Amino acid sequence: MTESTIFLLTFILYIISAFFYLAFLFSKKPDRAKIGSVMAVIGLVLHTAALIVRTVESGHAPFTNMYESLSFLAWASVLAFLIIDKKFGIPKIGPYLMLIAIGLVALASSPLMPKDVTPLVPALQSYWLWLHVSVTLLGEAFFAVAFITSIMYLTAKEPEKQDRMDSVSYRCVAVGFPLFTLGGLVFGMVWAYKAWGTYWGWDPKEVWSLITWIVFALYLHTRIFRGWKGKRSAIIAIIGFLAALFTYFGVNYLLSGLHSYA
Amino acid sequence: MKRLIKFFTSIKLAIVLLIILAVASILGTLIPQGRSLEEYAARYGTLSTLFIRLQLAGLYHSIWYLALLGLLALNIIVCTLERLSPKWRRATKPHIAVDPKSLSALKTNIRLKRNAPLADVQSEVTTVLAKARYKVRSETQGPQIAVLARKRIGGIFGSDVVHLGLLIILAGGILSGVTSIRANIDLNEGDVKPVPKADFEVRLDKFTTEYYPDGSVKAWKSDLTVLEKKTPVLSKTIAVNHPLTYKGYSFYQTSYGWNWDSPAVEIWAKSKSDPATLKKMTLKVGERALLEDKGQTTIAVQRFLPDFVLGESNQPENRSDQPNNPAVLIEGFRGAEKIFSGWIFANYPDFAQMHAANDKDKGAETDLAFELKKFEAGQYSVLEAAKDPGANLIWIGCALLMLGLGLAFYWPTWEIKAVLEESQGKTELIAGGVAAKSREAFGAEFENFASALRRSK
Repeated sequence: MTESTIFLLTFILYIISAFFYLAFLFSKKPDRAKIGSVMAVIGLVLHTAALIVRTVESGHAPFTNMYESLSFLAWASVLAFLIIDKKFGIPKIGPYLMLIAIGLVALASSPLMPKDVTPLVPALQSYWLWLHVSVTLLGEAFFAVAFITSIMYLTAKEPEKQDRMDSVSYRCVAVGFPLFTLGGLVFGMVWAYKAWGTYWGWDPKEVWSLITWIVFALYLHTRIFRGWKGKRSAIIAIIGFLAALFTYFGVNYLLSGLHSYA
Repeated sequence: MKRLIKFFTSIKLAIVLLIILAVASILGTLIPQGRSLEEYAARYGTLSTLFIRLQLAGLYHSIWYLALLGLLALNIIVCTLERLSPKWRRATKPHIAVDPKSLSALKTNIRLKRNAPLADVQSEVTTVLAKARYKVRSETQGPQIAVLARKRIGGIFGSDVVHLGLLIILAGGILSGVTSIRANIDLNEGDVKPVPKADFEVRLDKFTTEYYPDGSVKAWKSDLTVLEKKTPVLSKTIAVNHPLTYKGYSFYQTSYGWNWDSPAVEIWAKSKSDPATLKKMTLKVGERALLEDKGQTTIAVQRFLPDFVLGESNQPENRSDQPNNPAVLIEGFRGAEKIFSGWIFANYPDFAQMHAANDKDKGAETDLAFELKKFEAGQYSVLEAAKDPGANLIWIGCALLMLGLGLAFYWPTWEIKAVLEESQGKTELIAGGVAAKSREAFGAEFENFASALRRSK
């Protein structure tokens, strides 16, 4: 099977998964959420296979252009969701997350994103590509889950559900923040030093990573020291994810800089 | 005044500073940094003077941005130190005595009575807790015995380690800003050049560009030799992502350039009236060759442009040093007399057109067709030599930052306190637990502890 066939199957499975999660949301029947999660797992396995095939075919890490990195972000988001759901049992975020994953996969498949395997420019030929990008995107995937639970906090009516969403948001940030710090900032600095001879160059992508990091640092400090929980925390987590999204996506299209790869 | 000092040493200031830094940083990504004055004037008009005065053109190196960072560093130092000494005391000399009432008020607690003397129960509690890797301390308080058991106490220092890491990173940044040396070195093959502010030289032995089948660049490789007093001491092939390091200096492959001084061009000349005539010539600029055609024409290469473009006054100009549109200007002579001239293009073979030099020779040029088949020019390597003593501090800071985050999030300190009291041969135990993080896991562990005590007789 070719990569595009497996990718298409992944897409279909994510849609089926979202469909069952939505059915669960409206019917409140837990077995539908169960089917949704099984479909998401099968989808994730296929997605993993698609990424592996891509890696073997191209001979380099599967995140060197926008198509590849969108696909990888979708993969990481589904993975983050399945981990969080397994640990905390919150199938209610399923429909929203699967819709985001479908959106990312659809965007990756759109004609706007060139899908050709292109040879790697010299600057990207490094194992730091693997470490830097995969860990950063995995961190951002946990921010994505925190984003959804924060929105659900804001829309929830019952205090019990609110508490649950607040605590899951925090747990996601507790995973995402160290990952983002390690992948985005630390590995980024190490690689920049190896490739460009300077660990920090105030490139727009670097600055926006720092901004994202500052927003989540604010999330943690306002929460711990000023006792901000619930609504204000949720808003900061939402801003943080939007900053991460801009770092990943907006900087490429709106600002120019050294990170002109993906 | 006191309130002012309090504000400066508060977490509130940290929050305000972080918000200001974030907003300022965003501003710096919206205004292009480090451009010329003219560009700002063209872009922002009258606002540009204000921008320059506020140092917005080099925002991240401006006095006020650095002052904000300095203030944040100061704030981190003060806040961390303020919290550190009570934390240190809590870790090394904790209060063991505790009021039993406060224990039963805790969310996780247990209360039970055992038919055994106090000493037995105490040793049992100690054993159970020690088995679960708690460090157990006890103290007599009146008729009671107070027990304090804790594990992973290092976790409470997580945030301090993070802050120390950040301070070291900031210090590394300052050190880099003040002491780092950075310079580009252009080297042709065989060139030996001194390294700025160092007592050694580098020599480029060989420079190669490798291409993918589609023509894009795969790698630039420079065979570099370090010379100490003209003696080679170290050789390495460097490439992007693979620098050479010597005496604190690192040499990075950053770029390359073309040596267009005298490229060799291969030109094919054909005669339309006599298709058998095909002359292949490889010439350098200024050289000429005789065509063995009917008219015995001599061809001279006058000019080479790697990136031909017609300028504003319709004059040929060179747009860049990249061979995007290589073109040569050739001239045809009969004897000493110029009879035609024209540009020929490597990328557009049909575009070549020769122009007669004068009316009387018109027609001679139309019989000949020229193609620019190949061009060869040397490439030089551009290296960056950099010495950055601050970088080592950055790596230490990063390691501490990650260690601290690990401690803060994944090394949760758990604490179990108990009070034991004996009356009429029976011992009453009241215990409670506190966990700042991972409360669910802690609740499960406390439950294990409680049931172990209930089970034993």
